[in-house]
Amino acid sequence: MADDTTRQAPVTSMAPAAELNGTDPDRQGSLLEVTDLTVGFGKVRAVEGVSLSIEQGKVYGLVGESGCGKSTLAYSLLGLVQPPGRTVSGAVRFRGQDLARMSYSGLRRLRAQHIAVVFQAAMSAFNPVITIGAQVEHILDAHPDVYPDRREGREHFEELLRLVRLRPEQVWRTYESRLSGGMKQRVAIAIALLLKPEVLVLDEPTTALDVLSQRLVIDIIRDLHDTLGTTVVFVTHDLAVVAELAERVAVMYAGRLVESGTVEEIFFGDRRHPYVKALISAMPSVTADPSSLRSIPGQVPDLNALPPGCRFAPRCGFAQPICHQVEPELQMSASGHAVSCHVVNNESGEDGGE
Amino acid sequence: MSLLSVEHVTHRYQTARDDRPVLRDVSVEIEPGQTLAVVGESGCGKTTLGRAITGLIQPAAGTVSFDGADIWKLRGDDYRRYRRSVQLIHQDPYGALNPGLTVQETIAGGLRHQRIVPRRDVRGEVERLLGLAGLDTSKPFLDRYPHQLSGGQRQRLVIARAMALRPSLLVADEAVSMLDVSMRISILDLLKSLGESHDLAYLFISHDFGVVRYFATGGRIIVMFFGVVVESGPVEEVIARPRHPYTYLLLDAIPEPDPRRARRRRSDATRIATERIEAYPAEVGCVFANRCPFARDRCHTDRPPSQQVDGAEGHWSACWYPEVVPAVNVETVDEEVV
Repeated sequence: MADDTTRQAPVTSMAPAAELNGTDPDRQGSLLEVTDLTVGFGKVRAVEGVSLSIEQGKVYGLVGESGCGKSTLAYSLLGLVQPPGRTVSGAVRFRGQDLARMSYSGLRRLRAQHIAVVFQAAMSAFNPVITIGAQVEHILDAHPDVYPDRREGREHFEELLRLVRLRPEQVWRTYESRLSGGMKQRVAIAIALLLKPEVLVLDEPTTALDVLSQRLVIDIIRDLHDTLGTTVVFVTHDLAVVAELAERVAVMYAGRLVESGTVEEIFFGDRRHPYVKALISAMPSVTADPSSLRSIPGQVPDLNALPPGCRFAPRCGFAQPICHQVEPELQMSASGHAVSCHVVNNESGEDGGE
Repeated sequence: MSLLSVEHVTHRYQTARDDRPVLRDVSVEIEPGQTLAVVGESGCGKTTLGRAITGLIQPAAGTVSFDGADIWKLRGDDYRRYRRSVQLIHQDPYGALNPGLTVQETIAGGLRHQRIVPRRDVRGEVERLLGLAGLDTSKPFLDRYPHQLSGGQRQRLVIARAMALRPSLLVADEAVSMLDVSMRISILDLLKSLGESHDLAYLFISHDFGVVRYFATGGRIIVMFFGVVVESGPVEEVIARPRHPYTYLLLDAIPEPDPRRARRRRSDATRIATERIEAYPAEVGCVFANRCPFARDRCHTDRPPSQQVDGAEGHWSACWYPEVVPAVNVETVDEEVV
């Protein structure tokens, strides 16, 4: 791995990544740095101008509706955007190393040992014709440098299975088809952690699970983070899961990062993006007052036909003339709470309002 | 007389591995204009119940009656009237629409087949229905295909198609769970207002208590576990004071969209139950006993009948010890927020 001191400082001044400007990166512990990233599929920009800094040991939630670019952003963190998708501009750096400049074998090592991913379709992440144990053996075969003694690898896997609250003997000799959806999800998490990655990326880890399985997965991710200190980045459309798990949150809308901050800032801060506010008041829950629920008028714009100015403006109850003309930039407060909204940023003035 | 009644229905799907019933002796009644919500985890039989009610499957035992008549004994015009009156709204609006039919053709088909309006009035009726569902009625929109619509528009089209047949009961099976969060409330509001203006009854199937609470307030709810109705009663009553451990656990486990409440400690009961999540339902005694954190000896030997809860009219629970079910803690814990 490259030495941290060779790392380039992020270039955008307004971006959340700028919170690291002028500070010692080692002390801050920033592991992954996304700088002004634009990812395109043909002419469509699935992610546009996003900057984000992932610090060691924290839990990050990437949230947004379908098509907002949250999964594309998450896969970019692993250099996993495949053609026809491509990085148009900007960069993702892991410990200062640009993923775009890494060799194929370097990327393989990165994905296996440093940043692991559990895909949304954990159900289809397994080979159906060999046992779970055999699949783990294959991983150990491919990475002898992590476990020179493979017995150690097996023991670590058993430990991880216990952490995800499964009995090793229940899993090792079993085929994928014998496991329930929730169990597969948990086995996939254990396998992702086998090679002791620093970062675990989870795409929609609780979607399509029952309430009780969901509760279990949330508790397990919390436990893993507490026990192993793994940095966690998860993607979800469910703000309730964000409220439960995330320390820091990034909200995306139509390819843009519209707000990022701590979970408290996102839910209760003074300067909040109108979209984020609207999204929170559109969530039915067993405790919220049903009469306070509001749907967001209109629909998510087509990425092929984006409105001029702010992408949320056509649906926004606070939109001013400028919102329909000029795309707002992310403005960050001293505490690192960033919002991309003309109205909020004008109100809060130059001091960032906090 | 009930609009629809399900009496002692038992059903099993033929599979090699597993022949446990999907529905076990289920009985429910739906009155005209009433909403009955059905909740439970996947595999609990809620979709099968919806399919039995819409006549898509014939249950192995028991009867489903519409307006007092067994739906499997209806013939000719009576059967057509039943099929028209009970309409289904699926979870996946894309899968529920024929990709080769335009918006206009999607709605017109049923209007013609069931002779709802004279042929020359079909076009006008299509426009009226689209307007009713909050959709555009312009010519270009009428000529669009399902893939050219957004998720919300597709679900509205499915609703317009159902309304075309002048139904008296809509079976909504997870009607908003595949939609984006920002769309859900507007679709629920549409269903609610159609229910009021057209005196529709609903069988509202959902795994999400939040959605049920928003949609079915004032109605009734049944909670199912592995084919058994374990609790039933008025929606607010069941959510506020569950009297079956399974209902309690479902409510306690829900992620809260509020970080102050989300970080509250879940009860030990919930922790125990989630760890037993893989336990098979019991064949003897209470169906939930193997996963129940409150189970006692009797629960493993005798099956509890559904009994009215003391002091709560119309609230039923199939539990030997409903009094041990704790209240759901929804207190805000401000002091834990940093």
